[in-house]
Amino acid sequence: MIAIETKGASRVYKSYTKQQGFRGSVRGFFRRSYVEKTALHPTDLQIHSGQIVGLVGANGAGKTTLLKLLSGLISPTHGKVLALGFNPFDRKKEYLQQMSLLLGQKNQLWWDISSRDSFALLAEIYSLDRSLTEKKIAEITQALDCESVLDTQLRRLSLGERMKMEIVGSLLHSPKLLLLDEPTIGLDIVAQTQIRNFLLNYVKDMKPTIILTSHYMDDIAQLADQLLLMSKGRIVYNGSVSKFTNATKKQKLVGFSFPEPLKGPQKILNVNLAQGQQIFEVEISELELPQFLSRLTLLPGIANLTISAANFEDEIRDFMQNESAKV
Amino acid sequence: MLKGRSLLRRNFAFFKLAIVSQLEYRLNFFVDAVMQPLLGTGVEVLLWLGIFQTSGPTFGGFSMQDYLAYVIWSPFISRITSTWLYEYKMIAEIDNGSINGLLVRPMSFFEYYLSQFLGYKFFTTSVSLVIPVGFILYFRLPTDFSRLPIVLVSIFYFLILVQMMSFTIATFAFYLNKVYSLTAAKNFLLWFLTGELLPLDIVPEPYRSWIIGLPFCNAVYLPVGYLTGRLSKEIFLRGFITTTYGILFFAVAGIILWKQGLKKYVGTGA
Repeated sequence: MIAIETKGASRVYKSYTKQQGFRGSVRGFFRRSYVEKTALHPTDLQIHSGQIVGLVGANGAGKTTLLKLLSGLISPTHGKVLALGFNPFDRKKEYLQQMSLLLGQKNQLWWDISSRDSFALLAEIYSLDRSLTEKKIAEITQALDCESVLDTQLRRLSLGERMKMEIVGSLLHSPKLLLLDEPTIGLDIVAQTQIRNFLLNYVKDMKPTIILTSHYMDDIAQLADQLLLMSKGRIVYNGSVSKFTNATKKQKLVGFSFPEPLKGPQKILNVNLAQGQQIFEVEISELELPQFLSRLTLLPGIANLTISAANFEDEIRDFMQNESAKV
Repeated sequence: MLKGRSLLRRNFAFFKLAIVSQLEYRLNFFVDAVMQPLLGTGVEVLLWLGIFQTSGPTFGGFSMQDYLAYVIWSPFISRITSTWLYEYKMIAEIDNGSINGLLVRPMSFFEYYLSQFLGYKFFTTSVSLVIPVGFILYFRLPTDFSRLPIVLVSIFYFLILVQMMSFTIATFAFYLNKVYSLTAAKNFLLWFLTGELLPLDIVPEPYRSWIIGLPFCNAVYLPVGYLTGRLSKEIFLRGFITTTYGILFFAVAGIILWKQGLKKYVGTGA
């Protein structure tokens, strides 16, 4: 079953350009000039129910615009968007009741009251059963290890605690579609891991459709089963995470050292080994690896040789750099 | 039936949210609900006592007793019916994009702010009501306290119109940035049109009749006039009709501007 479908959906933003300096401000006061920027080029997309999609791209790639279209915050300039069978921009209660948007960089709970009061308010907004909601709050806060701060005013919580509370709030109504925009941004490694593990267990149990954007590739690698890579408002890769790693040029990391710093520069294939350096770690494509190793091992005193796969983050970065370089 | 019940429960929750938020900041609440009305009323009374001592027994056809009753009730009621706090909040939500968190919930932005606004006004009014009542009793000024309940009902009915106006002004934030000056301009205009600045009886004809034909005099002039016994019940009740016209007018304007505004909205900051 298809949960999300876009047909030629695009979005163009119009913004005012201010000329530099005082004179520019005065001129702009009387005559404004505007530029149009295409944040999302016509996009066709299908996402099946229960899929977890990692949405990756550089800043300005169009990720958040896509999420805003799916949540109904903005309308497409052209084309159609359907989510759970609804046009999100109609903001039908039946759709909003089944959807949740978590913006990692914005508070959505109420700043002046405790999280418990915020959840009680959300229970009324979503017409939830009170006792079931309380049970759910207890379960999720326990899983996220944040039950001790439930009665603390939101503004007094740390960033990690606040984000955990935002996650609780976004899941109270058991959404079928969960849009997570940078849910682990700015968090320490412990909080990141806790949230990641929690989401892993949650999706196993509840099977919602999730679209997740994150700058931490570990989030994507561990949670997502489908990858959407965006660059300059276009989807440049749409497929499974495993296919992506197979399709991209596989890189290996080769580490080695010499008994003493190199007395002169050396070159093996395209890799330069600098004079005066003793320990090296270089990236080699899988194809060139045998040839590189056969030449490397001829060098006198070579030791501590290690070979490991380049990580997912490196592969994404290389792919995105190649895409950005394209006109 | 079930929908109506959940709508009521939801809005009662918003109503309580405003009160709970107020109670979190005790000093702010004390200054807002007690100190400000107390100082404002005290200054008005002293000012007009001084004016009457030099000008004689009447001013603009009003006796000192009548005028003092007016200047005590007028700022109290206008404090209820004027708004900038929630209007600023609504503008800021649209301006900085925090409205995103509200738009994705199954509720309306208007009901969310209307119920909070009413909750805030209900709570602060309940507390600060003791101030004008105390002054009136102390100076033995003309006030028919049996009329107070219906006057409060009319004021809270007028608050729906106030919120409609605020909502309409806030929708301009979809089209332009930083529209806070509209709030200041609107409040300045209402300062005069409501009769807060001076009793509208002083305004020459035909301007007086024109102004009284507008719904804004229901904010101060009509309720204060009725409460202090200068206006008849018939004139006062007519105010409900003009308030209703005002609500309908701003509801239509607000809904049109809101719907068009959402199309222009770019989801700032998300």
